Amino acid sequence: MTAHPIIELRDVDKRFGAFTAVSGLSLTLEPGEFFSLLGPSGCGKTTALRMIAGFQEPSDGTILIDGQDMTGIPANRRPTNMVFQSYAIFPHLNVGDNVAYGLRSGGIAKGEIAGRVSDALGMVELGGLEKRGAGELSGGQRQRVALARALVMRPKVLLLDEPLSALDKRLREQMQFELRDLQQNLGITFVMVTHDQYEAMTMSDRIGVMFAGKLAQVDTPEQLYARPCNRDVAEFIGGMNVLPASVSAREGEGLDVEMPGFGRLGIARNPNALSTATDILVGIRPEQIEIAADRSEWGDVAVQGRVEHVAFYGETIHYRVAMQGVDRPMTASVPNHFHTVDHRPGDSVWLAIEGASVIDLGKNDT
Amino acid sequence: MTRPSGLAIYTILYLAFLYLPVLLLPLFSFNSGTIAAFPIKGWTLDWYRQLGSQQTLLDALGNSLIVGAVTAFAATGMGLFAARAYVRYRFPGRAASEGLVMLPLVVPGIIVASSMLVLFISIGLKPSLTTVILGHTFLAVPFSVAILKSAFDGFDVSLEEASYDLGENAFGTFRRVTLPIVAPGIVASLLVTFTVSFDEFVLAFFLSGSEPTLPVYIWSQIRFPAKLPNTLALGSVLLLVSVLLLVVAEIFRRRSARGLA
Repeated sequence: MTAHPIIELRDVDKRFGAFTAVSGLSLTLEPGEFFSLLGPSGCGKTTALRMIAGFQEPSDGTILIDGQDMTGIPANRRPTNMVFQSYAIFPHLNVGDNVAYGLRSGGIAKGEIAGRVSDALGMVELGGLEKRGAGELSGGQRQRVALARALVMRPKVLLLDEPLSALDKRLREQMQFELRDLQQNLGITFVMVTHDQYEAMTMSDRIGVMFAGKLAQVDTPEQLYARPCNRDVAEFIGGMNVLPASVSAREGEGLDVEMPGFGRLGIARNPNALSTATDILVGIRPEQIEIAADRSEWGDVAVQGRVEHVAFYGETIHYRVAMQGVDRPMTASVPNHFHTVDHRPGDSVWLAIEGASVIDLGKNDT
Repeated sequence: MTRPSGLAIYTILYLAFLYLPVLLLPLFSFNSGTIAAFPIKGWTLDWYRQLGSQQTLLDALGNSLIVGAVTAFAATGMGLFAARAYVRYRFPGRAASEGLVMLPLVVPGIIVASSMLVLFISIGLKPSLTTVILGHTFLAVPFSVAILKSAFDGFDVSLEEASYDLGENAFGTFRRVTLPIVAPGIVASLLVTFTVSFDEFVLAFFLSGSEPTLPVYIWSQIRFPAKLPNTLALGSVLLLVSVLLLVVAEIFRRRSARGLA
C-alpha cells in the first residue's frame, strides 16, 4: 500500500474564457476510497472529473495521481479509466472487442487478452457474452460493459461520470449496491460524479459537495447530513427546514438560541459551520419534528400550527404546517406505519422538537 | 372511404407529370423505329448492342468515370473534415462558412460554369478533364458535407474520449473508432458525389474542351437524328446506373445514422 494519497488536487482552477468552472479546488483522496463529487448541474463537478481523467488541463494548480504530477500527461497515459455518462460503448464492436479495446492498444500479449476479458465480464456478471453485439444490449448491460471495459485495464483510479443516471429507478438502486460491492472487493479508488444525493450517500465513504465551482464541504455521508457546513449543503442533502435564529449565549460546545415560533432552545455548536455571529441560521430535518393532534410529552418545545398541505409519498407522509411567527411553513415527515394519514389540511396540530436535532448552520448571510 | 380525395388525385397527376417523361426515354430506347414517337414500331435491343462498339462513346464513358472517381474522393475528403468541424466545434464564422460551402447548391450552373472558364483560362489552365474535376468538386462538396454531417450528428464525442481513456492515441482513435463508425456515411458520400459528377452537364460542357464526358457526348449526339435511338439507349443506361447508385448511397446513409442510436 502506498503511503501517499492516490489523488491530490492542489488549488486547481479551470476557466473557459471568462467563465470559471472550477476554482481553488483542493482535495486529497486515500487509496481504496469511494469518493463522490456531488452538486447541482453546472457546479463544476464533471469538469473536475475530466481534469483528473486528463480530458481537460487545469488553468491553474496541480493534479497528482499516485504521487505523480499529471501536468501535460494526456488521458491515454494516465493510470485512470472512466465510465462515461453515455457509457460510450463502441457501436461497431461486440462486447468482447469493446472490453478488449484498451488491452489491444496497450501492448498486452494476445494470449492474455481473452482471459482478462472473460474475467472482467465475469466480474460484472456478463460472463460468456463476448459475442453479443453492442446494439443488442439493455441499458443495464451497457453500463456493465462500460465498467468491465474500464476495470480490465486495472486502473489505479476508476472515474464514474453520473454512472446511474441513464438507468430506470429499480435498476439504479440495484446497481448502487453492486457498484459498492465491486469497489470493496477490488479495493480500487472510485471517484464518482453525481447530482443525486441519495446515490452519493448510499455508495460513498466520503462526499465532496460542490457549488458554483467551489468545494463547500468534504465529509462522510452521516456528517454531511447531521452537520452540514451551511444552508446550501443542508438543503442539497435531504430536506431541511431553515429558520433564522439569534444567539443569546455561547458556552463551550453549546449555544442558546432564540428561534421564531419555537422560542428559546439550547443547541449544539456545529464544528463545520464555525461562526461567532449573533444572527445565525438553524435547520431542522423534517423527520426530526414530531407532529401530533395533541401536545405530547416528548420534545424540548412544542408549538401549535395549522396543516396547509399533505403530500403522500408512500413510505412517508409530509405535512406542511403554517406557524405563527414563521415566514415559511415547516415540513414534518412521518413514517407510514399504519397506512393512515392522520392529519388533513386545515387541522390544528402540535409540532415538537428537541434541541439536539436542531442544526447550527452558521452565520445568516441573507 | 374508397373515393380518392382531391388531394390524392393532385398528387398522382403531379408525380405523373414529373416522372412519365423520364420513363418515355427507356420506352423509346426499345423501339425498332428511329423516330421517338408513338406508335412503337417494334421491340429491339439493337440500340443497346451497338453502344459497345462506338469508340467515342467509350472514350467519353472513360472520361466520366475518371472525373467522377476523382471528384468523389476529393469532395468526400474535404467534406469529411468540414462536416466534422461543423458538427463538433463552435467557432466564430461557423455559420457563414457553412453557408458558403452550401452555396453551390443554389448558384445557377451557367454562372458558375462561365466564371470558372474565365478564371481557368486567365490563370493558364486549358479546358481539360482537370478543369472539369475542379468544377465538379466545387459542386459536389456541399452534397458530401450534408451527408457526412448527418453521419457525425449522432456521433457521441465520448466514444473518441473513451478510446483515448483506454490508452489509444489520436491516430489510433481515428482508425479504430471514428472511421469505422462514419464509414457508411463516407460510402454514401462517395456514391452520391460520383453520381453528381457523372450526370453533370453544364460545367462539363464549358470546361471539358476536347475531352467530353458522357453527358456532353450525349448532347453532341442529339444533333444527329440517326443516332437518336443509340442516345436514348445510352441515356436509359445512365438513368438506371444513377438511380441504383443513389439507392445504395441512401441505404448506407441510413445505416450510418441508425448505427449510432
